[in-house]
Amino acid sequence: MATKSADPKASRVPASPPLKPEEMELLRKREEQVSLESELTERELRTTNLRAELGAFERRYLHLVGTRYAELDEYKAQLAEKLAAEQPDNERAQRAAREARARASDTKSGAGEKAEHEPRAFKASPEMKRLYRDVAKRIHPDLTSDREDRATRQQLMARANEAYEQGNETGLAKILTEYESSPEAFRGEGPGAELVRVIRRISQVRGRLAEIEAESQALLRSDLYQLRLRVDEASQDGRDVLKEMAAKTDQQIAEAKRRLAEGAP
Amino acid sequence: MSSAPETPSRELVRTGTQALALRSAALVRRGLRDLARDSNWLIRKVFDGPVAHAAVSPDGQVCALSPQVRHGSQSLTLFDIERCVPTLTLRLSNEPAADPADCPARFAWSPDGRYLLGAWGPNAVAMQLFDLHAKMLVGEFGNFSRVPSDISWSPSGAFVVSSSTGAKPSLDLWRVQPSARAAGDSVAIPLKHLRVPEWIEDQTAGADPTEGGNFSGYGRAAFSPHEKSVAAVVEIGGEWADDMIAFLDALTFRRKMIFEAQGRVTDIAWSNDGNRLVYCSAGQAYGIDPLSAECTSLPFGGEQCAWHPQIPACLFFSSWLRSSAKGRLFLVDMNRITMFDEYSAEGVIDLRWSLDGSKAYAITNEGLAYIYEPELL
Repeated sequence: MATKSADPKASRVPASPPLKPEEMELLRKREEQVSLESELTERELRTTNLRAELGAFERRYLHLVGTRYAELDEYKAQLAEKLAAEQPDNERAQRAAREARARASDTKSGAGEKAEHEPRAFKASPEMKRLYRDVAKRIHPDLTSDREDRATRQQLMARANEAYEQGNETGLAKILTEYESSPEAFRGEGPGAELVRVIRRISQVRGRLAEIEAESQALLRSDLYQLRLRVDEASQDGRDVLKEMAAKTDQQIAEAKRRLAEGAP
Repeated sequence: MSSAPETPSRELVRTGTQALALRSAALVRRGLRDLARDSNWLIRKVFDGPVAHAAVSPDGQVCALSPQVRHGSQSLTLFDIERCVPTLTLRLSNEPAADPADCPARFAWSPDGRYLLGAWGPNAVAMQLFDLHAKMLVGEFGNFSRVPSDISWSPSGAFVVSSSTGAKPSLDLWRVQPSARAAGDSVAIPLKHLRVPEWIEDQTAGADPTEGGNFSGYGRAAFSPHEKSVAAVVEIGGEWADDMIAFLDALTFRRKMIFEAQGRVTDIAWSNDGNRLVYCSAGQAYGIDPLSAECTSLPFGGEQCAWHPQIPACLFFSSWLRSSAKGRLFLVDMNRITMFDEYSAEGVIDLRWSLDGSKAYAITNEGLAYIYEPELL
């Protein structure tokens, strides 16, 4: 925006021509766009952080508890099948065995394969956060109105999110470099067209902000978040609830194995 | 200039994490549930009471007559016990009772939870059969001078036995055929009708009516797991009279054995293998061998009982607890006769195991549900 300068040398510079109305509007809109883009970057970072934290928590939960539930359900299915075999005329026992087997299969599928090592909790370093902000500011797909450019950005942003969740700093930096050197990064047109473009970007950013808010709320309402909240609360008292749940399930598994071995349900 | 695409870009921020969350949702819910309990019992407020009658289905639903009459008609509401939400309201065609909360009623769910049989009202009634998948009344059958004292389905869902007291007491066996309605036939065929059989007259002959001791009708009835026998409580009038339990052939109602109980019998339950029957009378629990008639007084009180469908474990409710006025729910290992997982409870009006035996439900007259859900029973 044109302003008067207090520097006497500056006063000797020929006055720049007054801005046209569309140029003034473009300036205002650019300021609004910059402000919104900054907000978008922050919110995108917060939501990605939350998602990454929940993802890491979920992996730890499944590793410690989910896989044990799967093991327990497998033994329960075997017990139910044993009972059904002992009572061939008891239709309810047959049905219970079928249901127990289906449940064991579902639990196994939900828990996935047990990893060799306990997954780590997600914790982004300040450098990771700075890098993510840079990437989001530069390549967020809602910051372009060009269809091809947007498609490119979508792919890159998805890769960026993945790299962030994996704590891959090099990967994030590489994505930024990759985009900066691409032809899509160098595009420009006249002020009229630029004004239209900026207005559309503002609209896109507002739309994405609303989506992020909804997504964030959904994450906060999720069962996974509630579970993590309970675990975090207990950890403030020095308890590791997931390990306690794992230990309790281990006892149930041992009891189920004992009953199977003894042949008494 | 290319025009801006209008599609939201939400998909671009989705990662493998979210797909994983969907797959593990049931396990996360299970973990939350396990964290929320300090015992194998979970408590839920399902509906506002009080109600005099409610029945729990094997798939975790409960039905209860609405305590209010709206627009001149009474309604029957089904609730999901786990989610504590009403799932279906059936407007009833009968004349509404003057005091719906006190209206005599009896309900029975079919073993698969699809059909609900019910009878209610202060006057002569028929049993109404609802198809809950189709959410409709299929038809009605029977004609009782008052609401049956019990309605019980056979384990296969093919037969129903109804018991009644009053001016024309009887024990009736029906073959239920919901699909026959489409062809214009009755939804149930009467197979046997037992009024006052000779063996009951023998047992109560000579009794002084003023002192009680007279046959007054039939109470709780239950098919054995293999549907070969029906055990039915024979109610004997009089404050100090003892009820009897008749073991009958399921299809002919031929007498197999008559057992004289001690006091008023409030509930009966067959063992999962059909070799034993537990009954509760005068607040005490007993076990009987239906072949030898050998009876054992169990070392605990009980008013209601429900035997697990596959294993020798039985759930009991006793409204009287030593040293306190409160009642309790508890399980008993019926081989070792040891109690476990006791939980205090009051006002329980129905008990039921889920079809697969993984859970048991108890519902109170105030609409409180006690869900027994052990990880390993």
